[in-house]
Amino acid sequence: MRKSLFVTMFVLLVAAMVLTACGQAATPTATTAPTTEVMNTSAPATTPMPAPTATLAPGSVQVNAGGGTFPLPVYTQWTYAYQYVDPSVVINYQGIGSGAGKSGILDNTLDFAGSDSLLSADQYTQGKDLQMYPTLAGAVVPVYNLSWAKAFDATAKIPALVLDRQTLVDIYNAKVTKWNDPAIVKLNPGLDGYLPDATITAVHRSDGSGTTEIFTKALTAFSADWTAGGAQSVEWPVDKNGNGIGGKGNQGVAAAVINTKNSIGYVELSYAIANSMPMVSLVNKAGKTVVANADSVAADMADFATAFDDKLNATIVDGSSDGSWPITGYTYFILHTTSMTDCVKASKIVEFFTWALTDSSAGQAAAKLGYSVLPTTVRDQVIAKLSAVTCDGQPVK
Amino acid sequence: MKISKTNIQKLLKKFGQLFNHGDRPWFGLLILMSILVLVLMVGIGYLLWRDSALSRSSFGLSFLLPTKDPSWDPVNSDFQAWPFIYGTLLTSVVALLIAIPISLGIAIFLAELCPAWLRTPLNWLVELLAAIPSVVFGLWGIFIFLPQVVTPIGNALYSAFKNVPGLSAFFAGPIPQSGSSRLAASLILAIMIIPTISAVSRDVLNAIPPSQREASLALGSTQWETIWQILIPYGSSGILGAVILGLGRALGETMAVTMVIGNSIEGTISILRPGYTMASIIANEFAEAVSKLHTSSLIEIGFILFVLTLSLNVIARLLVWSVTRKNPQEARS
Amino acid sequence: MTTNYSELLKRGVQTRRLRRKSVNGFMLSLTGILTLLALVPLFWIIGYVIYRGGKTLNLAFFTQLPKPMGMAGGGVLHAIEGSLIVTLMATVLAFVPGVLAAFYAARNPNTPLGIALRFSTDVLSGVPSIVVGLFGYTLIVKPQGHYSAFAGSVALAILMLPTIIRTTEEMLKLVPGALREGSLALGASEWKTSLNVLLPAAMDGVITGVLLAIARAAGETAPLLFTTLGNERFDLGSIIKSGVQNHQGIFQIMGRIFNSPIDSLPLTLWKYAQQPYPERVDQAWGVALILMILVLTINVIARIWIELRKKKLRG
Repeated sequence: MRKSLFVTMFVLLVAAMVLTACGQAATPTATTAPTTEVMNTSAPATTPMPAPTATLAPGSVQVNAGGGTFPLPVYTQWTYAYQYVDPSVVINYQGIGSGAGKSGILDNTLDFAGSDSLLSADQYTQGKDLQMYPTLAGAVVPVYNLSWAKAFDATAKIPALVLDRQTLVDIYNAKVTKWNDPAIVKLNPGLDGYLPDATITAVHRSDGSGTTEIFTKALTAFSADWTAGGAQSVEWPVDKNGNGIGGKGNQGVAAAVINTKNSIGYVELSYAIANSMPMVSLVNKAGKTVVANADSVAADMADFATAFDDKLNATIVDGSSDGSWPITGYTYFILHTTSMTDCVKASKIVEFFTWALTDSSAGQAAAKLGYSVLPTTVRDQVIAKLSAVTCDGQPVK
Repeated sequence: MKISKTNIQKLLKKFGQLFNHGDRPWFGLLILMSILVLVLMVGIGYLLWRDSALSRSSFGLSFLLPTKDPSWDPVNSDFQAWPFIYGTLLTSVVALLIAIPISLGIAIFLAELCPAWLRTPLNWLVELLAAIPSVVFGLWGIFIFLPQVVTPIGNALYSAFKNVPGLSAFFAGPIPQSGSSRLAASLILAIMIIPTISAVSRDVLNAIPPSQREASLALGSTQWETIWQILIPYGSSGILGAVILGLGRALGETMAVTMVIGNSIEGTISILRPGYTMASIIANEFAEAVSKLHTSSLIEIGFILFVLTLSLNVIARLLVWSVTRKNPQEARS
Repeated sequence: MTTNYSELLKRGVQTRRLRRKSVNGFMLSLTGILTLLALVPLFWIIGYVIYRGGKTLNLAFFTQLPKPMGMAGGGVLHAIEGSLIVTLMATVLAFVPGVLAAFYAARNPNTPLGIALRFSTDVLSGVPSIVVGLFGYTLIVKPQGHYSAFAGSVALAILMLPTIIRTTEEMLKLVPGALREGSLALGASEWKTSLNVLLPAAMDGVITGVLLAIARAAGETAPLLFTTLGNERFDLGSIIKSGVQNHQGIFQIMGRIFNSPIDSLPLTLWKYAQQPYPERVDQAWGVALILMILVLTINVIARIWIELRKKKLRG
């Protein structure tokens, strides 16, 4: 008796799973169908409704996204706050790296992607209707971990490490391999004698990263010596030389620098601030020593105010004004503009993007973490482009 | 038709006969499931083979061969797998070298010397070591094992071999402060494969008939001489099989290795520097490989891994089977 | 002086005996020391995980979803639910094919199909888990167009299958042949014999095998990397609630659960372990503790079952 009950339950469970898997696998949008039926009984066409979102049950629209870790601190705050703005939609953004985000949106396993790395011409062709929407600008800052050769006075303030553009290139080219190299000492007279005679361990990303793309594009602009290219994934000369380490994600690089003495790495500014890591000050193109913060990022953005092309892509490294931070970049959302089939989801995504760009609390959250919001002119351009998104031929929202 | 007793009986018999065909669908089901398992194995190999076609045709054999200057360049689409093959082989072989003596010692202790009351708990404990998930090993590795054990060992090795000609290249470069290095991966792999090798070796030793031990002891050998000179050679093919099983596990281990090896496509052969393994590069780069050649190269690495572990498994099973076949007892495989 | 050969011989024998005895004692105690040495990491890991992880465990850890990075608090409910769902579904997927294939292997070990089946089982048990993840991505995620718990559970089921087949086959071989012959002699058909006589007789061992396979699958990360993506917003309770509110059928709710990306304990541990935020690292230790308790408990239960069964057989 007990055994046949067990067998029956088991068979029912298997059957249920097989049915749901087969049935739902072919129609991933079926789960939202009931809600549209409830609301559009008189309009069998699949126009998404402009009706108030309160009629959608909480958590009924699931949006899956992934991409760079560059904006991850902000995006997690935004998606967390957005569930209170619009409880019907659940946005799941995974920090898997810009490369994985691009790959996901290209093979349609993600609903939208976040990337600081630009799509190549091939990828635009492959994706057919992809559009990049800039959301924020942020700074990539070199961070370091030094065990000083002698102790500082208890009361003295440790001066910030200063590097110039050529020296940074030389470090990552494995031309400058020790911390007390004359080039570094020359830039830091106050640290002479404190810089240890130790090999520099250069930490870089092990995954395909927009942060790397911004950093390497900056290195390319800094000096003709950098020949590895400016892309999301490069062959690091420091690896060849034996003093490179790869970390996964911005957080992996930060953790690697924190755990490795006498190392240098590059991370997005918010990671350096959140972990109280010592940051490098750079001598920019104008010859001035700058610290990475919202002002220097804004100055750099201003240098390239008209640099957006038709695709809304822009590279803004190595600005020429006095106060500009040379390693800055935009981060983007990537979305299919015409080929989305789930119109409820499409309208929710566009609503989220618009909220993120226009809502003041969203902007404040970003600023608090060290990012810069878009200048108003650019933001209006982006919103204009968003209105061109269509689903099944009808404009979304 | 007349409704008579015999007719009803005939009908019931016909009805009952329906269930006598139950065996054919049953056997059909069994065969179907067995074919499913076969298809799975073939399917994995085929899918890997098919999806790596692009990189196989672009690079040919040079993808695998050792090169002085290997490149793994997604920007220029030039890929060579040698650094990863080297990393995998090095870490696995060093892990084996460390694990074999320890595992043999454990197997001997558990099979020959352990008092009966201690046997079951000790068996459990050793197998419990195998049950710890790989990520937990990695977590413990990053924060505890590496700074407290690997870095001091690495520093000691570095200073010991710094000036020895020939070996100094193998122990070159100071170990990174965090301990992330091929040495760390080897040590953690050794800990992870010890349960595998010792469990199978213990079974092999248990399968040797007591007559061998009795004869040896009767001739006046000490217990150690019996073990070392009689039992181990007798079970050597089985123990070799156990070792190869452990090697297979070490080759495929992903998570713990990725967390402690430093993920650096290094040019040096040194064991003290960060490195990369085949499983790690797939774990790190597959999700983001956009270009077809990049994806195909990663899948080709997966295919190499599959073929390696497949061949090792086959050899190991044959060896273990050959020793247990000599004896009537059933040995757990 | 004449050499006293017998004296020399006796002394030679004595030194050799002494040497052999000391070598014997040394090597034997060495094996004991090596055994203890191998157990050191076991206790070190378990002890440290309990110590570090125990500090972060609280009720919120088990019942809440995570908070954004940098904010304190939050929990790993999504990972616990995810692990349970994916492992349960993997068991369901692997159990029936595994047991049935084992029946075939036990009955016909030497037919071509039987030999091929045992060979495939061995091969599958040695396939690296990352390769299985690749397979799951190519087979399910790419064609379906989204990451899902279903894809993850298929990958885990492939990992569980060899263990289930092997243990079930062994257990079936241990069932005395007389049982089967007696049942057939009484007129039962083959399938009736298998399901009603042989399987219950072997059930204890089969359950053990399944438990061990579950313990292994629960701790695997690599197959889930490319198949389930990860999902910090996954909340079983709210999915069920919203489904009920929308008058969705049970199949639709289940479909939603199985088709959404999902997190799991090992995947969460992997993500959190590499974060620089100290709260995340503490949470990583907490997750490690939960995972270890889960895996080790299942293992211990399985072993106790084996021991009880052995005692029962001994009578």
